[in-house]
Amino acid sequence: MNGVAPSRRISAVSPPAAGAQGEDGPLALTAQQALWLELNQFYIREAWLLDERKLKQWLDLFTDDVLYFMPRRKNVPRRELHRELTPLGDLAILEEDKRYLEMRVARLETGMAWAEDPPSRTRHLIGNLEARRLEDGEVEARTAFLVYRSHLETDHQLLSGCREDRLRKVDGAWKVRRRMIVLDANVLLDKNLSVFL
Amino acid sequence: MAAVREYAVIDPVTGKLDRRIFSDQAVYDDELERIFGRAWLMIGHESLVPAADDFFHTYMGEDPVILTRDGAGRLHALLNMCRHRGNRVCRADDGNAKRFMCSYHGWTYRNDGALDHVPGESEAYYGALDKSALGLVEARVETYAGIVFATWDRNAPDLDAYLGDARWYLDTVFNRRDCGMQALGPMKWLEPVNWKTLVDNCSDNYHVPTSHLSSALVQMRWLGRPRLSHEDQFASPHRHAFVNGHSLTFRDADDGMPRYVHGISKETARLFEEYHRATLPEVERRLGALRARRIQLANHSIFPNGILGLRLALPRGPRKTEFWHFVLVERDMPEELQRAIRIGSQANNGAAGMFEQDDVDNWRQVTEASVSRRARRLPQDLSMGLGHAGPHPDYPGLVSERYISENNQRLFYQRWEEFMNAPDWARIPLAPMTARFDGTATMRG
Repeated sequence: MNGVAPSRRISAVSPPAAGAQGEDGPLALTAQQALWLELNQFYIREAWLLDERKLKQWLDLFTDDVLYFMPRRKNVPRRELHRELTPLGDLAILEEDKRYLEMRVARLETGMAWAEDPPSRTRHLIGNLEARRLEDGEVEARTAFLVYRSHLETDHQLLSGCREDRLRKVDGAWKVRRRMIVLDANVLLDKNLSVFL
Repeated sequence: MAAVREYAVIDPVTGKLDRRIFSDQAVYDDELERIFGRAWLMIGHESLVPAADDFFHTYMGEDPVILTRDGAGRLHALLNMCRHRGNRVCRADDGNAKRFMCSYHGWTYRNDGALDHVPGESEAYYGALDKSALGLVEARVETYAGIVFATWDRNAPDLDAYLGDARWYLDTVFNRRDCGMQALGPMKWLEPVNWKTLVDNCSDNYHVPTSHLSSALVQMRWLGRPRLSHEDQFASPHRHAFVNGHSLTFRDADDGMPRYVHGISKETARLFEEYHRATLPEVERRLGALRARRIQLANHSIFPNGILGLRLALPRGPRKTEFWHFVLVERDMPEELQRAIRIGSQANNGAAGMFEQDDVDNWRQVTEASVSRRARRLPQDLSMGLGHAGPHPDYPGLVSERYISENNQRLFYQRWEEFMNAPDWARIPLAPMTARFDGTATMRG
């Protein structure tokens, strides 16, 4: 947990972590720490769903009004870094709603989505979580990822980047309602981008 | 350049193609000289450099080129190579700059290419450096309806003749409106394939019902897109035409079908139809009734490496191609419609595009078949539709009888041979222009 033991006996405002025990009795977490744990668990769960190809369950982690967005990343001089990411409305690598995500997942099940048949072997490593609760009850969370993809015989790629998510609770479960994926690449070195990030 | 080798790779009688042209380094080196060193190459769009001093970084083959608009509004295509040691003078993808300074020794060029400043010009060079002979190397530039083309060859014909009657078809997508088009993009990615396979694929409609069936099936269900099958394709009113290396497939049907395919769904169809109806009188004035009402360009490529709209297949070695994907929208199109086209196009095409991602492994394995010892001795079979193409009374170019044909593939590789075997531009044949360009649209837009 951030590599630092939480302060003991500080009562959590909300929600308390269930069952955490310290040497001196029950361990209380700050609301911020509890949120961090909850979201960390969310992202670990998501990574396993993706790597185990349980994509229909993965789709349930998104709200019905989700925007799944991956801008392009340009080479610009340091003094013009505000132009590095292409804004929404310019051509993006992905600008998908739930319906498009559903189509992408359904496509794989036809047995004729050749980019992923046989499927890629992926490993999603998600880390560097930072989370912040917003006034409207939503949460802003960003994470860094390394995704390894191995395909067919010897094709392999390492995708590195970050996700900036907006999440909200729907029926007691966190769901992503906006995801911006920023790749650390200008020209993608991959033959295609057929795995989910 | 080595002595000109004679290439005979496609047999026009049998349609057999020597597949060694897809991986041989010596062939590739010849291609850079004889095709990419001579042809008019699509390099960008005027809308990427709308204002004075704007620039956009692009490529002519493997040569890095800065497309600039100088202070007077003139376009330049400048080799991105300092004339001193050869460092690049620009590392940004795009921007606005009056000058480009080499980061090695500080030689500085104006955005029209002129060498403006050399540190130590009088002290270190004793005033002996002829700056006027050391500007950035400039290619010839011409535009067609906002699309920027460049060539290194002074003897190349003008772009109008180079495109020839292909423009009769191209106008139906690129030259419809007075307002012109806006380019969005590009998205860039590397594919482990030979560049010719991408270009060849752009008029290969035969692959669509097999390669892309999964995407067509889900889009039929979720978006209400039409069914896709071999039977429908064989019966379709589409045709292929071929002019000067440019492969064109087109539709001839007077059914008021909207001009843009990407982004049409059951929800957005109304937007497309309304726009089509509202703009038809203008398009008819610009292109004449036949082209405005009936002809619709579909998959196509512009020789050598402009593919499917404003998209580039940039050679990066015999077994590697950098793919650049742009989307073009008409400038005063309603925002809602632009959005539908943008989203539909990027969902289908590009590295992550549902359709496009399924092409790569096929193309890659075709490229690899030209490497392995046993496989490379076996030619590709491009015999489909042999003897079923020719001149047509209504459509310019060499026209196939059907939509599914390998006529354009055979002719593409014949055009490739013409470029590879010609010692200079005077020996590269151009088809005479015979099409009737009704309407007011011109090369300039």
